[in-house]
Amino acid sequence: MNNTDIILIIDDEVQIRRLLEITLSANGYKISEASTGKEGLIHAATLHPVLIILDLGLPDADGIEILKKLREWYQKPILILSVRSAEEDIIRALDYGANDYLTKPFRTGELLARIRVAIRQSQDAREDPILTFGSLTIDLASHLVRKGEEIIKLTSTEFSLLALLAKNEGRVLTHQFILKEIWGMGYLEQTQYLRVFMAQLRKKIEDNPAKPKLLNTESGIGYRFGG
Amino acid sequence: MDSADICPNPDEPLASLKTEEVKSKSGSQKIVTIRWTGAGKTFTSSILEYLTVILLVFLTSISCYLIKEYIGYQIVSFGLLILVSILAIFYGSGPIFLAAALSAVIWDYFFIPPQFTLHIDKPEDLMMLIMFFIVALLNGILTSRLRRQGQKIRVREERTQALYQLSKELNMASGTTEVSVIVTKYILKYFSLESAITLKAESIILGNLHQEGNGIHLTESDFDIANWVFKNSTPAGKFTPKQSSGNYTFYPLTGISGNMGVIAVEQQRLFTQGEEEFWDACLSQISGKYEREFLRSAAKDTYVLSESEKLYKTLFNSISHELRIPVATILGSSDTLMSQNYPEETRQELYAEISIAALRLNRLIENLLNMSRLESGYITPRFDWCDVNDLANKVAENLQNELKSYQLITIIPMDMPLVWIDFGLMEQVLYNLILNATQHTPAGTNIRLKISCDGSLLNIVVMDRGPGFPSSELDFVFNKFYRGKDAKTGGTGLGLSIVKGFINAHGGTIVAQNRAHGGARFNIEIPVKITEIHLNKT
Repeated sequence: MNNTDIILIIDDEVQIRRLLEITLSANGYKISEASTGKEGLIHAATLHPVLIILDLGLPDADGIEILKKLREWYQKPILILSVRSAEEDIIRALDYGANDYLTKPFRTGELLARIRVAIRQSQDAREDPILTFGSLTIDLASHLVRKGEEIIKLTSTEFSLLALLAKNEGRVLTHQFILKEIWGMGYLEQTQYLRVFMAQLRKKIEDNPAKPKLLNTESGIGYRFGG
Repeated sequence: MDSADICPNPDEPLASLKTEEVKSKSGSQKIVTIRWTGAGKTFTSSILEYLTVILLVFLTSISCYLIKEYIGYQIVSFGLLILVSILAIFYGSGPIFLAAALSAVIWDYFFIPPQFTLHIDKPEDLMMLIMFFIVALLNGILTSRLRRQGQKIRVREERTQALYQLSKELNMASGTTEVSVIVTKYILKYFSLESAITLKAESIILGNLHQEGNGIHLTESDFDIANWVFKNSTPAGKFTPKQSSGNYTFYPLTGISGNMGVIAVEQQRLFTQGEEEFWDACLSQISGKYEREFLRSAAKDTYVLSESEKLYKTLFNSISHELRIPVATILGSSDTLMSQNYPEETRQELYAEISIAALRLNRLIENLLNMSRLESGYITPRFDWCDVNDLANKVAENLQNELKSYQLITIIPMDMPLVWIDFGLMEQVLYNLILNATQHTPAGTNIRLKISCDGSLLNIVVMDRGPGFPSSELDFVFNKFYRGKDAKTGGTGLGLSIVKGFINAHGGTIVAQNRAHGGARFNIEIPVKITEIHLNKT
């Protein structure tokens, strides 16, 4: 981590900003704060933060609108931190390009972990064809998946699904997004396929499919690999 | 039933419904006027009857005249007699008298020799003519009387039918406004009368009736009459001793507990005795219905009032306690942490207390939010295919801290299909039920979660080995703010009622039972769509 890593916090609640400032500073990040959407957009343009933490309930604009404006040019991770916990809101924010979503109240440990994953992912520019997660290795080039020494046999759809999730490690992928990527636009409603393939994948790669560590369910929203 | 079945004047067409709502200046009564404007009816039928009778008598006479050579003039009298008898089936005594007299004269003039004179030669012919006339007349009158009696019975039957119809229609109506619409329509249909109903003002709210046209419009003086009728329980207005100069007749709607209101009708003539009996029967039905409506809304008001009062008190007691305890913990702990230099171990304990208190507050807020979502009817499940294994795992993961000292045993059959439910809501349901089990059972015991599917019925059972419920309280466990006697602290009594609300939103049911060998058991049944795909087999 270098000293120029600035995290921009766009939130109108002073207490939340203070908490984030204390926590993130203690973990070596530089902090910039904005209490309105407008201010946030200016800071984002001038400071080039490595990550933006965005609240959806801003006094001057809907957070989703700010998210849309940011996404017109800002490529780095945006993490939503909001009291809105309805699944629809979360899915909407993810669809508009948010990388992750945490609802208030949140545990700072979890927030830090999500920030770390998001930043690492955005900086991981090299296209490594081999992904490693504990004892699991996924070779994207040769379509080979190993657990320890053992080669795991996957169907091509299972592999595509696993690869998609693994490449987006730590990020929540919505059901719709996964269905679109793997099965195509005509299958957006066919969540039953997704459920069946996820259950099979868990059986094949998880140590204990009942307590998944890699293929995590985000209730009513989608799946998250690891993290 | 169509109007033609019963209405004494089936030719009358029904026309457009016009409604009007008028509010009296005094404000003590509200009025609904619903007017049906129907076309007027004319009576040309009786003239037609006489003409028909004359025509038929002439036609028969001409036919008889043509064949008189073959049958003889005496037989002709039988032909005419039969005609008069047949006519008696269809017509009243007037036309029958005419038919009898006419055929007697015709027989005499054209048939009895000497023909073309009224003179009769033979005395037996004269006797026969007199007898013919008497028999024809008697026959006609008797038949006509029979017919009238039959008609009377039919009218009575029709009225019984009509009353039955009224009670059926009234039974289906709810709310005084709907009742008023039905009543005014009914009175127009069966009495051909336009009417207006005024009801006592207490505890009724009239809906926004559509206003158009100018139906029965009660003036201030009409209202005075209505008020007088309401107070004195006596009809007034047109055709009555009191205020007979008005346009309308006012009848009280008298129920068991007093007058419900007044009905005004635009009567053109006095009721006949039969009509009056029918009218009274209808009014007593209508009054009874209004009375029930008033009682119902009064009972509802009282219930709502007492329920909300009770709720308010419980809410205050329960919530203020539940809010203050964690806040006190957080304040106290942070004060201590800031003021003195305690050993690290103590500090860690205080941090943990703050964390626990905050979680408790958060849970309370979640519950209150869910409760208010349920109360406002905002909950609409977002149905999707769901893997119940995933559901059970997710709940176990969320509750891992609470479940540390318990053994959660999940049982899901191998051939479990995907089910069409709201994952988020069902996660909350299982979370609350299992959390509830941890709060009421001794550490170290088993908690069982059994999920299965019987046809298209999803069955979820959560069982524990705690003390169960006192049998007298089994019916109340899903009530808001119900709390078990031995519950650990930190409950609001909202968890189970939220569970029930979410299950109901799925169209399912939940029951609480005591297990045979001790412990509580929640049994959930939800009708669901399922897939043919069986997860655990593949």
